Amino acid sequence: MKLKDTILDPIFKSNPITVLVLGICSSLAVTVTLKGALVMALSVMAVCGISSLVLSMLRNTIPGRVRIIVQLVVVAMMVILVDQILKSFEATYPIDKQLSVYISLIITNCIVMGRIEAFALGNKPIPSMLDGIANGAGYGMILLIVAFFRELLGSGTLFGLQVMPAGYVTNNLVILPPFALILLGCIVWAQRSIQKDLQEK
Amino acid sequence: MNTNNNLYTVIYTTIIVVIVAAVLAFVSQSLKDRQEANEKADTISQMLTAAGFGTKAEFQAMGNAAVLETYGEQIAEAFTVDATGAKVADLDLAGKEVYSPSRLKAQNYNVKGGKSVTLPVFKFKNGITVVPVYGAGLWGPIWGYIAFEADGCTIRGAYFDHESETAGLGAKIKDDPDFQAEFIGEKAAFGESPVFEIVKGGAPKVDGKSVQDNKIDAITGATMTSQGLDAAINAWLGAYAAYFEAQAVSESSVETQTAEEE
Amino acid sequence: MEYISLFVKSIFVDNMIFAYFLGMCSYLAVSKNVKTASGLGLAVIFVLLVTVPINYLLNKYVLGPNALVEGVDLSFLSVIIFIAVIAAIVQIVEMVVERFAPSLYNALGIFLPLIAVNCAILGGALFMQQKEFANVGESAVYALGSGCGWFLAIVALAAIREKMGYSNVPPALKGLGITFITVGLMGMAFMAFMGISL
Repeated sequence: MKLKDTILDPIFKSNPITVLVLGICSSLAVTVTLKGALVMALSVMAVCGISSLVLSMLRNTIPGRVRIIVQLVVVAMMVILVDQILKSFEATYPIDKQLSVYISLIITNCIVMGRIEAFALGNKPIPSMLDGIANGAGYGMILLIVAFFRELLGSGTLFGLQVMPAGYVTNNLVILPPFALILLGCIVWAQRSIQKDLQEK
Repeated sequence: MNTNNNLYTVIYTTIIVVIVAAVLAFVSQSLKDRQEANEKADTISQMLTAAGFGTKAEFQAMGNAAVLETYGEQIAEAFTVDATGAKVADLDLAGKEVYSPSRLKAQNYNVKGGKSVTLPVFKFKNGITVVPVYGAGLWGPIWGYIAFEADGCTIRGAYFDHESETAGLGAKIKDDPDFQAEFIGEKAAFGESPVFEIVKGGAPKVDGKSVQDNKIDAITGATMTSQGLDAAINAWLGAYAAYFEAQAVSESSVETQTAEEE
Repeated sequence: MEYISLFVKSIFVDNMIFAYFLGMCSYLAVSKNVKTASGLGLAVIFVLLVTVPINYLLNKYVLGPNALVEGVDLSFLSVIIFIAVIAAIVQIVEMVVERFAPSLYNALGIFLPLIAVNCAILGGALFMQQKEFANVGESAVYALGSGCGWFLAIVALAAIREKMGYSNVPPALKGLGITFITVGLMGMAFMAFMGISL
């Protein structure tokens, strides 16, 4: 597989959310506001890239029977480490408070683990890292699209700034999780209308 | 190399576990003091925000040292009380002893169970009293600080925080200044049940403004967080009821005395 | 009586899928037919039923403040310990399924190891920590209820998807797209249970 495909595929053709069906839970929880979606997207890109890199380096030494434990422990350790370090400095403490909400969501994000299982354990470190980052980016893109509609219709704002005219009555259905699912359904619909080969029989 | 060998698997796992535990323990121990200092300053800035000395963003911009200094200037006394409202012990003012969320959590079990409690009271020089509340939201703990006027029942302000509520929904208890502003001027009904109510869209209103009773509107779309906050406020203010009732009595007796003297 | 209400509550009111939207990935991907769906559902019940009580005991006797040694608070390790316990149990389940039900093993594919990161499982452990159960029995009942709720949800969706095979869905919406929308509607229906106190 060429390096360019490794990077570009996850963004559209094999997007982790709409094609591989990974990372749905967090995409429901964090897409009420654009800001939350952006924070989560960046964190997942970082975690996914770094843990793919590390586990790809370890791939030949990991015993097959305990690989899940090893993978998860490494991922969780890195997420907790970052959390602890951010928490200790006065300048980064507010950032950590923003992020701490997502810590357990990042660890259990199946994209991280799914890409390690499916790609990093069978490939060299650098392509693995790129695959991780690209999948994080593909995930982040869907997150931002969903969050855009949910924040716009649900709160009448974008990144916390009022954009809808003053008389706009906010749609409370949009901020409930089921609507995020319906929105995701529509995104899949749009994508598969363009990319006919993804359609299921 | 045969990585499926039993001995290899056991040794490998042991090494990984030891490394991970060692790294985490080392980091957590060596950074503990810094983290606690940050947490303390954060807790103090939350109390100051509730008491109306500034906004959370202002305190954040100030930095930890300035927050501690402001607190030192404004605080009059801090002590713990038991369920009957009697004073138990003084809190260390010079050391700026506060009740951060982990310490509130330790008391929460007793508060909910109606068992014997020792709860902190923070009195500021301008007569405002700040007390904490703690409980469970949808995903994790929620807590906050409520400031009362000198009369011991009118709410001067409130600040709430949470560990992992949903951004844009439950997280509004912290992020939405309008929600926190709803508390201002409301009156807690100490000695009654419920002490305070967060009701779904049904708080009595006159001309679109909430009536100054013990009811405010819940957050739309965040039913569970609102219910959790309601339960937390009722449990904790309930535990403080005896203290505030005693305050109100002594307050009014002082007033009658002065009236007689005149 | 308390156990029964806790059980019913964790199935319907606190349903992992429809109230908290946890464990969605494998829920959506492995619900094409009722047989595989019930296989995964049973695996989730089993993993929850084993991990929640174990994590409860660890949380109570090892991780809590002053639990192991006076003055030592190991709670910073709780998430990683929970995850490690879950991963170990999942690994065992994976080996058992591979040995005794190879066809199920192939049908579940990557989603069997992914139970380890199924947020419903870690969610179960974290909710257990938050709910402060009085004893290990309560935590086990809670785990069983949550697992059954998840099982119920996935079997219901699989049944709907099997029926949907006969309906005329636009080609681009077929499969995943219409499933997302179906789950959204099911979630709205389940909101009727929200706030019921038992």
